[in-house]
Amino acid sequence: MADKPIEGEKRVFMTGNEVVAWAALAAGAEIMYGYPITPQNEIMHYWTRLAPKYGRKFLQTEDEISAGFTTIGGVLAGRRAFTATSGPGNTLMQEPMSMAEMMRIPVVQVVTQRGGPSTATVIYSQQEVTMTCFGGNGEGARIVYSTSTHQELFDYTIKAFNTAWKYRFPTHILGDGYQSKMRESLTMYDPASRGIEMVPTEPYVAKGGVPGIDRDPNHLRNTYNTEDELYDVVMGIMSDWEKYAPEIAEYQEFDAEDAEVLIVAHGVVTRAVQAAVKELRAQGKKVGHFRPVTLRPLAEEQLRKRAENAKVVLVVESAYGQLCKIIANSLYGLTTPIKKVLKPGVGVTAEEVVEEVSKLL
Amino acid sequence: MVDLDLVEPFYTLRPLKRQLEETGIDVIAWETRETMGLGEAGSILKPEMKWSLKRETDVIMDIGYGVEGAKTLNLVEDALNNKDLKIFAVVNTSRPMTASVKDIVEYVSGLGKVDGLVNNTHLGDETDWEIVEEGAKIVTEAAKQLQIPVVYTAVDEKLRTAGKTTDSQGNPIKYLHRYMPRSFW
Amino acid sequence: MSVAPKMPKCWRPETKAHKFCPGCGHGLVLKALGEAIDELGIQERTVFGCDIGCSLLAWDFFNIDTVQTHHGRTTPVITGIKRANEDVIGIAYMGDGGGYAIGSQHLVNAATRNEKITVILVNNTNYGMTGGQMAPTTLPNQKTETSPYGRDVEATGNPTQGPEMVAAITPDTAYVARGTVANVRQLKKFMKRALENQISGNGFSFVEVLSGCPTNWRTNAAETWKFIEETMPQYFKIGEIKVPGEKKEG
Repeated sequence: MADKPIEGEKRVFMTGNEVVAWAALAAGAEIMYGYPITPQNEIMHYWTRLAPKYGRKFLQTEDEISAGFTTIGGVLAGRRAFTATSGPGNTLMQEPMSMAEMMRIPVVQVVTQRGGPSTATVIYSQQEVTMTCFGGNGEGARIVYSTSTHQELFDYTIKAFNTAWKYRFPTHILGDGYQSKMRESLTMYDPASRGIEMVPTEPYVAKGGVPGIDRDPNHLRNTYNTEDELYDVVMGIMSDWEKYAPEIAEYQEFDAEDAEVLIVAHGVVTRAVQAAVKELRAQGKKVGHFRPVTLRPLAEEQLRKRAENAKVVLVVESAYGQLCKIIANSLYGLTTPIKKVLKPGVGVTAEEVVEEVSKLL
Repeated sequence: MVDLDLVEPFYTLRPLKRQLEETGIDVIAWETRETMGLGEAGSILKPEMKWSLKRETDVIMDIGYGVEGAKTLNLVEDALNNKDLKIFAVVNTSRPMTASVKDIVEYVSGLGKVDGLVNNTHLGDETDWEIVEEGAKIVTEAAKQLQIPVVYTAVDEKLRTAGKTTDSQGNPIKYLHRYMPRSFW
Repeated sequence: MSVAPKMPKCWRPETKAHKFCPGCGHGLVLKALGEAIDELGIQERTVFGCDIGCSLLAWDFFNIDTVQTHHGRTTPVITGIKRANEDVIGIAYMGDGGGYAIGSQHLVNAATRNEKITVILVNNTNYGMTGGQMAPTTLPNQKTETSPYGRDVEATGNPTQGPEMVAAITPDTAYVARGTVANVRQLKKFMKRALENQISGNGFSFVEVLSGCPTNWRTNAAETWKFIEETMPQYFKIGEIKVPGEKKEG
């Protein structure tokens, strides 16, 4: 059996789904649970081809409810476990994700967004933002990385396992069908070769020793008797969330400092926006871009600082205002107007962004 | 030209279909809007694809990679007995699953009948001659072990070097015009 | 001075007396299970999973690592643990609603895959914790909160034959039985055999247990036992249904 999936570093050219499988291998993920859905399928295809070569495991479950709950089981057994899904599958997976949120179970879920509502298209979308960030009956104590390139898919898939196990919140890679299917070059690496240490995992159950004699049994529950009891638990979760949010939140800025028009976009749309900003700046226009890398938690303070100095904030997304809701909420109280380019389930090009911005200037 | 890649239905490429047709090529591929739930519930084999080898013309078929891709030929009438049909495995050593001689030999051996290899080693826009030639070395050695020829080495038109018609291993070079960047992303 | 009844070693004394209703069958089922675990010496390796519904009340019952999950999802949680750590003895504990209604796809598919886990399903012919609604196992003409005129099998089907279904879809290496709280000695034997089938790595094991719910049945002790001992077995045959390589009892 081969030792390490990747020795040192390697420049490669592949699809996004293939990248996720390799990144999970490189991160030392031990088991994947999954159920077929497009455009996620090839993550499972590559994983099932590669995993046995490195002593890793896979279980195909009967549906996404089961895929989510078996992933929880894998984590409870102390393994670096993950699953991947999309669209209607993500809807079913909200049930296990809410259990993971309540019980601080560090599952890693990869979401390859497709069109919605309902079955819709299997191609591309950014319409799973609200669900991935706030789905289920919960408070949104989830970490969501929205990637935009294959390099980020690789980097953040590895990082997701570490963030999840460090902070014990369910952690999500929010990709999309375009990222899944397009081919692009990136550098794959063994995390150790870059000084990235994988956060150790530990079992929640079957920890060794006879419970009741050598140690207390671990009785894990998510049901409570009284409102007060639940209140304490949820406030405990949310107080940790508030405490860690600033160190988890990530963002990127492009000419944002003196921007009169501040464009906010996430995921693959940031590529079009970055190109548009470059072009508009070349025309001498004061346009900048704020790109949240984490949608949960959001880098609120940094965003507010830029938005405050801008004349207008322009939110661009492939959904009907799902990102905009998050942005507007965190900008509450500022007087900067928010304009929107909303294209549910449809890609956005740099030319369109340039055109929309030109209307504002 | 027949798009038979059923392994990874690559819908973002489909905008190129019309452009190819304008150059006089007959393209047999689904238009995205014709496909209901492509890759999920829709019928993915077009009847014209099944009968494509019966056409009295030069036919190029793009089948998916791997064993599942090779099996696609079972769906095409006359593919298994057609003496004129040549099957080439296109290899990019920048893909980790075909990065070494050993991996390529193992991969191609599993495909069934293969008449030759194409060295298509590249890294998208970052490709340079060094990458191409490194791939040529690996692919040529794999071809030797498989006892099949390297049919050609594919190189981006942008790297065209006057007078250079073979790679360092003596394989002929075909310069390619890349349409990929014009797909949606 | 009263003498405390003898409890299985793996029970957790700190959480007794337990919280099930007076006359509920769960206590007897968990006693048989506890003794089976003691006798097999697997307390250290066992992970117990419970559903919501009344089986939830077992969440702190044992000195055994325990996970309480959502309704119907105990089977996949225990499956996930077992797949990730084969040394674990995984027990999924649920009621008839959890196993045969909301979680039936998990039961069917775990059985089909011959998962090396043990599923124990308590059949008391109704949804107990939510107030006595009709369950997949409710008997024909039996009155519940959602079948106030009696279960109409024309409209709502016949009681689920769980073990028979599981036996039909599992390979020969699976163990399937139906016991009853009216025969705890036999029930313990079934549970031991089920767990042994998992310990040996043989395959899936499933034990349905006929049990009583006097609170929702609104029955006194005599009526409760009459229902368990006489009425229920008319629909649910007690005994071993599938035993790998052995003669069946019952």
